[in-house]
Amino acid sequence: MASESIVVFAQFQSAVDEGFWHRFSSLKLNKLGIDDSPIPITGFYAPCSHPQVSNHLTLLAESLPSESNEQSSTAATSGGNRNRCPVPGILYNTNTIESFHALDKKSLLKAEAKKIWDDIHTGKAVEDSAVLSRFLLISFADLKKWTFHYWFAFPALVLDPPATLVDLRRASQYFSLEEAKSVSAACNEWRNSSLTADVPFFLVCVDPNSLATVKHIKDWETCQSDGNKLLFGFYDPCHLPNNPGWPLRNFLALISVRWNLKSVRFLCYRENRGFADLGLSLVGEALITVPQGRAAKTGNGLGWRDHQCLPNAVGWEQNKGRQVSRCISLAKSMDPTRLAISAADLNLKLMRWRALPSLNLNALSSMKCLLLGAGTLGCQVARMLMAWGVRKITLVDNGRVAMSNPLRQSLYTLDDCLNGGEYKATAAVKSLGRIFPAVDAEGVVMAIPMPGHPVPSQEEDNVLEDCRRLHDLVDSHDAVFLLTDTRESRWLPTLLCANTNKITITAALGFDSFLVMRHGAGPFSSNDERQRLGCYFCSDVVAPIDSTANRTLDQQCTVTRPGLAPIASALAVELLVGILHHPQGIFADGELANSSNSGSCEQPLGVLPHQIRGSLSQFSQMTLVGQSSNSCTACSSTVVSEYQERGMEFIIQAINHPTYLEDLTGLTELMKSASSFQLDWDNDDDDDDCIEI
Amino acid sequence: MGTKEEAQGTLSSTDFGVAASAFILNWNTVCSSFPPWTWVLSHHQVEGYLSLENVLLSSTQEEHSELSFPEAGKHSHQEDPIDVDDATLVHTNPCKVHYYDLHIIYCNSYRVPVLYFRAYDSDGEPLEFDEIEKDLPAYSKKALSDSKWTFITQEEHPYLNRPWYKLHPCGTSEWMKLLFHADDALAKTGVAIELYLVAWLSVVGHVVGLRIPFEMMKQL
Ligand SMILES: [Zn+2]
Repeated sequence: MASESIVVFAQFQSAVDEGFWHRFSSLKLNKLGIDDSPIPITGFYAPCSHPQVSNHLTLLAESLPSESNEQSSTAATSGGNRNRCPVPGILYNTNTIESFHALDKKSLLKAEAKKIWDDIHTGKAVEDSAVLSRFLLISFADLKKWTFHYWFAFPALVLDPPATLVDLRRASQYFSLEEAKSVSAACNEWRNSSLTADVPFFLVCVDPNSLATVKHIKDWETCQSDGNKLLFGFYDPCHLPNNPGWPLRNFLALISVRWNLKSVRFLCYRENRGFADLGLSLVGEALITVPQGRAAKTGNGLGWRDHQCLPNAVGWEQNKGRQVSRCISLAKSMDPTRLAISAADLNLKLMRWRALPSLNLNALSSMKCLLLGAGTLGCQVARMLMAWGVRKITLVDNGRVAMSNPLRQSLYTLDDCLNGGEYKATAAVKSLGRIFPAVDAEGVVMAIPMPGHPVPSQEEDNVLEDCRRLHDLVDSHDAVFLLTDTRESRWLPTLLCANTNKITITAALGFDSFLVMRHGAGPFSSNDERQRLGCYFCSDVVAPIDSTANRTLDQQCTVTRPGLAPIASALAVELLVGILHHPQGIFADGELANSSNSGSCEQPLGVLPHQIRGSLSQFSQMTLVGQSSNSCTACSSTVVSEYQERGMEFIIQAINHPTYLEDLTGLTELMKSASSFQLDWDNDDDDDDCIEI
Repeated sequence: MGTKEEAQGTLSSTDFGVAASAFILNWNTVCSSFPPWTWVLSHHQVEGYLSLENVLLSSTQEEHSELSFPEAGKHSHQEDPIDVDDATLVHTNPCKVHYYDLHIIYCNSYRVPVLYFRAYDSDGEPLEFDEIEKDLPAYSKKALSDSKWTFITQEEHPYLNRPWYKLHPCGTSEWMKLLFHADDALAKTGVAIELYLVAWLSVVGHVVGLRIPFEMMKQL
C-alpha cells in the first residue's frame, strides 16, 4: 500500500464572530420565530496570512440575510474584499437541543455534497468557483440563555482511490528566482484587483520566459501551450508545510471530472502581511486515478464522469480532535441584566478613577439599607442609593399607592393605583427591579407602632409582633432611613437603632423647609468621653447651635413643595455615603460647612455634617450640630436600658400610656406634640394626599 | 487644526475625518507591510470610523504543538459515527492565538478620538478582560493601574451596538494638550491635523500593544 504518499488535506477550520450570533438572535426573535427552514448564509475566508496560524472560514453579522428585506446589506459583502472571499453556505437551526442532536448529519452532508457535485458537472463551479467550498452549519440557539450550539461541515468529495502525492515543496523551491518574482507579482495583481481579489480558485501560467500570468479557471483551454507550466492555484487557508488545505479536495474533483487530468500540479497560495509569500506557499503534484469504486459497480465505466454517481463525502469539523459540536455562551454581551450591572459598575468606577480614588465601592454594594416609609422620600432615597451602588434595599410601608402618588413618588405609575392600589412596599420593589434588575430589594407591608396611640388588648399581639419584626429588621440591616410622615412613627425605630448602634438617617419635610440628619451613636456603643450627637428627638429638647433655625418640621399634616423631597432625599443618601467613608463612621463629630472645625480631618467627600436644614423659600441651606440629650425619650441611656431590660413590655407601656415616657425621662414635649397631631391624624386618616408626604 | 481646538487638545469631527483619511494613506504607504487600516462608513453613510481587524497583536504566542504532531483522522477517537477518511488531517491542537479588532471612533462629547477594541480566539469566541490583560505588555499593565489617562471600560460600540472595550476618553484632551505643548516648535507653528491621530495613537496604541511603525513616528 502506498498509503504514505496519499495527499492529506488539512481540514477547514471555522470561526464565528459574536456579531453573527447577535444578528441571528434578532433575526430569530423578530422574523423567523419557530420557522426552522434552512437559511442561506455566506462565510468568508482568505489565504493563510501568517506562518504559524491557519486562516478560518469566518461567519460575521454580514453572513446572514438582513432583517429588513432590503438587500442593501449585501452591498457590504460584495465588492471584492480581498480578506473576505465569500463562500456560500446553509444554516439549519433547530428549535430544541434534542432536535439539534437528532439531525441526520450524514444526509445533510450528502445533500450539500450533491450540490457541489452538480455544480461541477453543470459547469457552474467553473464559472463561480467559490461554490466548491460550499459549507453547512447546524445550530441550536438557546436565546433564553444566550448559548449557541453549533457544528460546521465542509463537504469534500472523496476520491476513491485517494490522490497520491508525487511531490510537495515550498513554492520558492519549485520556481526559479525569476519565475518566483513573476508569479508573486501576478498573484499580487490578482489579489489587488477588485474583480478577482475574492476569486479563490485560479490558474497560474508560467511561460518559457519565466513570465507568469494568473487566469480564471474557465480559461483552462486557452492555457494549453507547449512549454508552459500550468498550475492550479487556490487560496489556501492552511499554514502547514506538508499539507495542502481543504479547498484543494473539491478542486481536484473538478479537475478530474471536467478535464480528465491524471496528473495535477497545484499551488497552495499563501500570503504574509498581505502579499504573496512563496516561502509559505506550496507547489505539489498529485496523481488522480480515475475513480472506480462504486462507479465500477454501476458498470457504465464512466466512473467520476458519471453525474449520476455521487461520490462519498466527508467534512464534519472536529472540535479539538473530537467528534463533538461546539458551544458558545454570549451571556456576557447579550444578557441585559449583566449589561446593566456592568454599566452601573462602570459608572461608579469611573467616578472613583477620575474624582474619588478613596471611594469604597465594596462598602456601598455590600451595605444593607432599611427604608422606613415608601412615600415621596422613600422612593427617592431608594433611587439615590441604587445610583451609588447600593444593592440591598428593604422598604417598609403599610400604605397603598393612591391616585395622587405617582406624580411625587417616583417609583409608581398609574397602573399601581388601579383596583384599590397596590401596596407601596410591593410596588416599589417591582419598580426598583425594572430600573435595575440586579437590585436585591424587599418589601415589607407593616405599620410602625407609635407611642401615644393606645392599642385595644385584642390587637396587642399583632402590635407586639410588628415590634419584634421591626427589631429584627433593624438588626439585620446596616443603615436605617427614617422617612415616615409622622413624628411619633420615628420614635420606635430611633430607639431600636440607638439600641443596636445602627447608622440612622432622618429626613423630614415641612411645606417649604426640610431637615436631614444623622443620629449619633447609641448610648452604650462606646466609652468615649466625647458627647454623642443627638437623635431626631434630642434636637427637640436641646437647642441647636444655631438657634435661628428652629423651625418645627412635620409636626402636622401638610403638603410640601414638590421639589423639597428630592432635595432632602438626595442629601440623606449623600450623608450616608459620607458616614461610610469617614474613618470614624457613626462616631464622627458633626462638622459645619465653611467653619474652622471642619478642617479637623479633610475628607475626599467633604465635610460630614450632623444636620442639614434647608428652606426653599430662601433657597438656603445650613449645617448644624446638636448633641445628645440625657433626657431624650428615644436615645437616652435611661430609655435604651429600660428597653434592654424589659423589652416588649416596655414598648407596650410606652404605646398605651401617654405619660409613661414622660415619667421615665421627665419630659412633656413629646406627649404635648403627640396629642396635638393626634387630632390631625384622626381627621385625615383616609386622606392619603395629606398623610403621605 | 483650529488654534482653539488645538489649545484644548481636541479635534473637530470634520478634522477627524480629514485626519483619518490622511492617516490611512500614511499608514498604508509608509508601512505597506502592516495590515491596512480602513474607513468604515456607518449605515447612514455620513459618519464612519477607522478599523483595523483580525490583528494578531499578542507577542506571547506559544509554540504550536500542531506543527510537531500532525495526526491523520483515522487516529482520533469517534464520539459520533462520522466519516473521516485517511486523506483528512485534523487540527488536533489548534493553536492558541488571540485576534484583536481595533476601531478608532470620534467622540462628540469629548471631541477626541476614542479607541475601541475587542479580542477573540481562533473560534471567534470573545475573550474576557482578564485574558486580554495577560496579552498586554508589562508597561501597559503598569500604565493601566497607575495612570490617570488610561482607563479601560466596556461600553456599547456606537455603530455595532455590542459591548466593546474602550479607552475612556475623558483624559485624552489633557494629555494631547501636554503632548503638543511640550514641543515649543509645534506650539508655535500649530500642529497639522494629520499628525493628531499619529500622536494620539502612539500613546493609546501602546496600551493595547499596538506599536506605531517608526517611519510614521519620524514625521512627528
Ligand atoms: Zn435622642
